[in-house]
Amino acid sequence: MSYYDIDSILTDAQKIPCTFELEVPGLGILEGNPGEDIKAGTRIDLPLWLGEMLSIGARLGTSRLVTLDMPDALAERVMNALKADPRTVDLRALAPHFYTLSERILEIFEEEEMVDVLSDTFKKRAAEISDQAHNPRGRWARASTFSVGSMRMNGSVMFRAAHDRAKQMRIWAGEAKRK
Amino acid sequence: MDIDDILASVDRGAGASPESAALDHQQLTRFWVAERAVSEVLPWPAPLMERMMDRVRIQIETIEDLAASSADTDVAGTAHNHHHNPNLNLRLSILQTDLARTQYIIRSLLRQRLAKLTKHSMHYLVQLASRNKNPLTAQSQSQSQSQTPSSNSPNAAPEDSVPDISALADFAPLSEPETSFVHAHQTLLAGHYGGSFMGAFPRQLRRLDDNAGGTSMVQGPETKEVVFVRCLGAEVPVFVGGDDGDGGDEIGITMRMGDVWVVRWEGVRKAWGKGEVELL
Amino acid sequence: MAFPLPRGITASEIAFLAEMEMVTVVPRQRLEGLELLGGPVEPLVPPRRTSLPLWLALLLKRQRRANIIPPPWLHPESLSLILEVESQHQDYKNSFSPPPPLPGQPSVRDHGLEPTVRPQYTLDGNRYYAAPPFLPQNSAQTVISSRDLPALPYHWVEVGNMLLDAASDDLVDPDQIRRLLKDLREVRMAKMRSGVDVLDDAATGGGGVALTGVGAMELGEERGFLAGVVDGLRKIGASKEQARRERLAEQRANGGYDGTQDEEEEDYMEF
Repeated sequence: MSYYDIDSILTDAQKIPCTFELEVPGLGILEGNPGEDIKAGTRIDLPLWLGEMLSIGARLGTSRLVTLDMPDALAERVMNALKADPRTVDLRALAPHFYTLSERILEIFEEEEMVDVLSDTFKKRAAEISDQAHNPRGRWARASTFSVGSMRMNGSVMFRAAHDRAKQMRIWAGEAKRK
Repeated sequence: MDIDDILASVDRGAGASPESAALDHQQLTRFWVAERAVSEVLPWPAPLMERMMDRVRIQIETIEDLAASSADTDVAGTAHNHHHNPNLNLRLSILQTDLARTQYIIRSLLRQRLAKLTKHSMHYLVQLASRNKNPLTAQSQSQSQSQTPSSNSPNAAPEDSVPDISALADFAPLSEPETSFVHAHQTLLAGHYGGSFMGAFPRQLRRLDDNAGGTSMVQGPETKEVVFVRCLGAEVPVFVGGDDGDGGDEIGITMRMGDVWVVRWEGVRKAWGKGEVELL
Repeated sequence: MAFPLPRGITASEIAFLAEMEMVTVVPRQRLEGLELLGGPVEPLVPPRRTSLPLWLALLLKRQRRANIIPPPWLHPESLSLILEVESQHQDYKNSFSPPPPLPGQPSVRDHGLEPTVRPQYTLDGNRYYAAPPFLPQNSAQTVISSRDLPALPYHWVEVGNMLLDAASDDLVDPDQIRRLLKDLREVRMAKMRSGVDVLDDAATGGGGVALTGVGAMELGEERGFLAGVVDGLRKIGASKEQARRERLAEQRANGGYDGTQDEEEEDYMEF
């Protein structure tokens, strides 16, 4: 988490499922019922920053207000799909900040297998990005619909890094023209 | 070249020996590449930079003298003078190109450092202030910090969170001008924040070094980022952790002479300091 | 203050650095010695060969004041040999062909030998080991023992390109050289890119990925991408690394830690 990093702030606003362990008077507003109480056992999607704050009692060993669940974007179903083929899952549709969300979730839940699946996904997709970035007439040049969207954040930054560097080199070597 | 030669060249003073010029040039070049490669500001090589600036000044004088004599030649326009030094213009253009190249490195180096300094200005100011306080003032400083000054002074402004570095004697890793630059920069910035929006905040939200919510406003460079290094020593180990924090003395892979590796900066920072690896 | 350049030197800065490589020239005119900021330049006396920094050699070449003797590796025969090693040799399937050794470093053929480091000392008394572009990897005088294979120097792309540009009449069969350089670049870039799979090894503390033999321009081209991937992997794996470190600390505290390294970090990883 970085104070001035906009991606980090946006990630904080992504929702994750939370279950209330206690009855909370007057917090019904979270459910869309202002003025009402919230009952124990209620499941609501809360922004990551709020859910994390409310669940903190659990870590301190005192009674906790909510327990956090794995968000759908990182559900086992998704992990299985990624294991089968890391390249075709539309990660952006699952969560706009898929990787940064994963990083935060992995800080909360200890899921070593998920680390492995995500690392592998990240590498495979990165390799694909690299190949395309280096092809000046590849599909990146014409349409950017395929994985720019799905790799967003990390992905597009990386793509830009790969593409700009490759272009600099071609300009220097006189193979491409300066814009 | 052995150590006696070096000592001898030092005796002759900076810039006296052509070999020392070459060696300093190589060091400057290597340092520039390194500064361009890592996220943090590297320790300012004061003696090297002083020698370089001296040489640049002398070289500029040399070029001016040569250019003046070239102008004389043009005015006189005598065959004799032309014959006297047919290579004057060539020499001038070589000297000027060489000068421009060195100036490029120095300028790029300084600008890169300023860019890092302004990006992480609070980090460097806090670092300087903490390291250079004597124990007594450090204590009073931390006391006033723990009471969050905003709560007892009614006119708290963002400027109040700019660390006081007026009593500083040791500027590492910065140079003295860089230190006063970063302090002046941060003071101006804090004043601007105060004037344009922070002044309207509640007093306790006007600091620039807040830690509330577990996220520090003071952001330092990421030393876990990877760098590309060439191993120059016979065998150089990569450390698992950084200088601070745990695992600092645990060793991971070992690089051998001539190898090029992608490794974490914090793992090779010490070896870089000893000149056993170079950054690429 | 705005500084427009990304971290890590860019293509034109790499070329600028490569221009500091020393090359051999045959001067066509006299010129008295010069004291440059980059070091002294010997007097030019035709037809005596001398070593000059590439930028100066190119300046003289463009004005027809000197000819450049190409470095031994920039020759169709040498390049074909290197290309063969690079694309056919079993040992270098996933890594680059070996670079020229540093001073004191045993060559590939005597890889059993220990390196003998020979540091110089800077004016401030620190150890200094010379490295490219400040080694004679591109001068014609380089003594190459017949049993040593030619090798691509660190700045091969830049030196090759610049000499083809400005001094093609000094090269043997420049068209052939141009083709071979292009083939080499392709073979090597493919290796570089296929290496994404092992990048995890650089994403944990104390780990790393070897790129030995890589050229400056090749590195410049890929560094943003490689660093981006490793950075992403580090963040995804941060919790796992933390857990591992806590386990190790615990083992140590219990006296159960016998000091052996993690096996995954012991390997010499290349791609």
